[in-house]
Amino acid sequence: MSLDHKICNHCIMDNSDPNIVFDDRGRCDYCNNFERLIQPNWHTDARGQAALQQMAETIRADGKGKDFDCVIGLSGGLDSSFAAYVAKEKMGLRPLLFHVDAGWNTDQAVGNIEKLVDGLGLDLYTEVVNWQAVKRMQVAFLRAGIPDQDLVQDAAFFSGLYKFAREYKVKHIITGSNFSTECCREPEEWGGYLGIDKTLFGDIWKQHGDGRPNDEFPLVDILVYKIWYQKVLGMKVHHPLNLLPYVKKDVEDELERRFGWQRFRHKHHESRFTRFYEDYWLPRRFGYHKRRAHFSSLILTGQMARDQALERIAKPEMDEHFLRQEFEYVAHKLDLSVAELQQLFDQPKRTYRDFRNKRDLIGFGANLLRKLGLERRYFR
Amino acid sequence: MIRVVDYGVGNIQAFLNMFKRLDLPAERARTPQDLMDAKHLILPGVGAFDTAMRKLNDSGLRQPLEHLVLQQQVPVLGVCVGMQMLASGSDEGVLPGLNWIPGRVHAFADQPASASLPMPHMGWNDLQVQDDHPLFRDFGPAPRFYFLHSFYFQCENRQHAVATAHYGVDIDCVVSNHHVHGVQCHPEKSHHFGAQLLKNFATH
Amino acid sequence: MLRPRIIPCLLVHKGGLVKTQGFKSPKYVGDPINAVKIFNEKEADELIVLDIDAAVTGAEPDYALIAKLAAECRMPLCYGGGIRNAEQASRIVDLGVEKVSVSSAAIDDPELLTRMAEAVGRQSVVAVIDVRKRSGLFAKGYEVCTHNAGKVLRLEVLALAQTLQQAGAGEIVLNSVDRDGQMKGYDLELARQALPLLKVPLTLLGGAGSLADMGQLIEACGTVGAAAGSLFVFKGPYRAVLINYPSAVQKDELFAKCLPAGGRPKAH
Repeated sequence: MSLDHKICNHCIMDNSDPNIVFDDRGRCDYCNNFERLIQPNWHTDARGQAALQQMAETIRADGKGKDFDCVIGLSGGLDSSFAAYVAKEKMGLRPLLFHVDAGWNTDQAVGNIEKLVDGLGLDLYTEVVNWQAVKRMQVAFLRAGIPDQDLVQDAAFFSGLYKFAREYKVKHIITGSNFSTECCREPEEWGGYLGIDKTLFGDIWKQHGDGRPNDEFPLVDILVYKIWYQKVLGMKVHHPLNLLPYVKKDVEDELERRFGWQRFRHKHHESRFTRFYEDYWLPRRFGYHKRRAHFSSLILTGQMARDQALERIAKPEMDEHFLRQEFEYVAHKLDLSVAELQQLFDQPKRTYRDFRNKRDLIGFGANLLRKLGLERRYFR
Repeated sequence: MIRVVDYGVGNIQAFLNMFKRLDLPAERARTPQDLMDAKHLILPGVGAFDTAMRKLNDSGLRQPLEHLVLQQQVPVLGVCVGMQMLASGSDEGVLPGLNWIPGRVHAFADQPASASLPMPHMGWNDLQVQDDHPLFRDFGPAPRFYFLHSFYFQCENRQHAVATAHYGVDIDCVVSNHHVHGVQCHPEKSHHFGAQLLKNFATH
Repeated sequence: MLRPRIIPCLLVHKGGLVKTQGFKSPKYVGDPINAVKIFNEKEADELIVLDIDAAVTGAEPDYALIAKLAAECRMPLCYGGGIRNAEQASRIVDLGVEKVSVSSAAIDDPELLTRMAEAVGRQSVVAVIDVRKRSGLFAKGYEVCTHNAGKVLRLEVLALAQTLQQAGAGEIVLNSVDRDGQMKGYDLELARQALPLLKVPLTLLGGAGSLADMGQLIEACGTVGAAAGSLFVFKGPYRAVLINYPSAVQKDELFAKCLPAGGRPKAH
């Protein structure tokens, strides 16, 4: 660690987030934000219960006579799995489980989805994105050299849900977005570009695509989406996981006990690409460790001790042999040689600012986007 | 280095893939030079016995192999027809085998108990492991492997039979004579069972 | 004891996995390599991958794809689609594939099977026959189709199966066109008729909608190959794509229930 390294003394967020601010106690703005804004408004007791039941009644009423009353985006990961459980068992809803297959599912994710579908007795709808289209776009993004590599999967998920919601005139969406494991947000600088920006995608494709059109890649611009959402009155996105106690370990134990659900080593490991991206590509190429934010959330909510977090962040989640094999797997899956992928890894770093984009325009509505929970990473 | 003998017969790539997954260095051996760094040998084989023996005899690898195995006692694992080649001979053909494990290869079709069963013996079958043997270290209670063959091995010396399987008749499906081993089934295509056996062979 | 084989069958169309109904309306199901990887992790007994374009277009097998699939598989892989000669079969087997399947080319010229058996060994040669119930008021029995059920041939199914077996096939797969994608059960009648006539292993494909359907096939035929496409790829009323495969425990229970000791069919 260099002398310039500054780390919060309460959580483990540090100045690899270039916008972090420390107060005179050595606490970062994530901690302060949690204390001042989140905690006072986060009720998982009787108040939360009441709000949960209210939410359930509204959704049930709107869904009378329909095949399902709400839609839950399910990745097979912890948050969306718990959301499905809560919706059915605690809220008495009739959700349709919605899954987007962008070609990177781990066997564990697929198995967990199956166990929930069977265990909860719910219906499943999957949208399978054309793999060739995803592959070509992902390679273009890698060539572009920016940290925001998961935008490709995000676009696929986002556009899949949009298409579905339009076709079935969905009124209520339930997401697994929650404070318990996400109160410390991943900084945008760490490759978390906000929203699907057709301008950005278009310019990256123009400069780094393979020269032919990629029409099969599903791309719905965030601004179009937002206007549409506003047009469709009454379309609501709900976050029930903030209305009841959510202790990560207890939920994992319960899902395992009830359904044989298998816990992941870490967040986002249900996608092989995201696991590789967050455990290898982002830290080693850019120095960004998303786990800092994940562990910090757990520290803030009393589920992890700070020294435990420091110990875990000191090494990758997966061992070196595994990461080497995953590097090769990802290369071959993208039809690249290991050497070619290595070249992309070693090339100079760029950011979205090196491409045409409408970040500022989107930023204007960023809060709305977060409230809608429309990023794939809010579909747990 | 684990060397997979490439004499023109057998699924070399599958073995290389398996060892790669196990993080054990393995390469194919096409020439006598390739064999020189072998610490373990895999002798694969599919198809007809005589075809395999002829190809081995013509490949220029037979003498160096015999030197390595018989003189230098490099461990060798014969797989499927590669295991059958370890025998003295086979009812399927006329050429003599390597005779590294005394025994003969017979046809299921010639035994009354198996003559009316579908041939080849194809699919997953259970193994009866006779005793503690390093090849079966860390195995659970019910090992099974994928088989694909119409002829089977019968050891002369029962001490050499490590595991049997049943298909009408009992066959010696894993055999061992000091550092010479053979498996009738396909460990390279038997999921974790096969991976464990190959790992045991290569790290013994 | 030799166990029945439970075999996912994947169809490749324009480089992607698809699933058909009655051999029509291919629905995109995803990336073949990812699917194979998942079946591998679920420790499937073996896998069949068929290229449904090649037979019709006459294209060469996609060797690059085959190599990638073979590299993923720690279980036996059978590849088919448009294979017309023994050289192609050899080349495919060299890539790490256990078995090669042929259909229309072998039906046109059964000697192809002999040549293939000479090149790669009979145990690696699989003959697939696409079968459809004859339609019409007084129709009885089955007709043979080829080219994704685009052509119908004047051949009797069971006699054809025996011919192909004689010529060099080490396994016969009977694929029911009518039942394809219906998930309402196998054609048990066809299976029962074929079984006593064959000396090589038999596999049925087309119609499996549940493990119970496979159980029925095993009860009728004993140690047989039970192949399925839709069952392992779809879930629920919306036919949601979700790769699934029975666990080792589920298979053990199924076999214990449906297979008598000895592997012979239960009396029916």
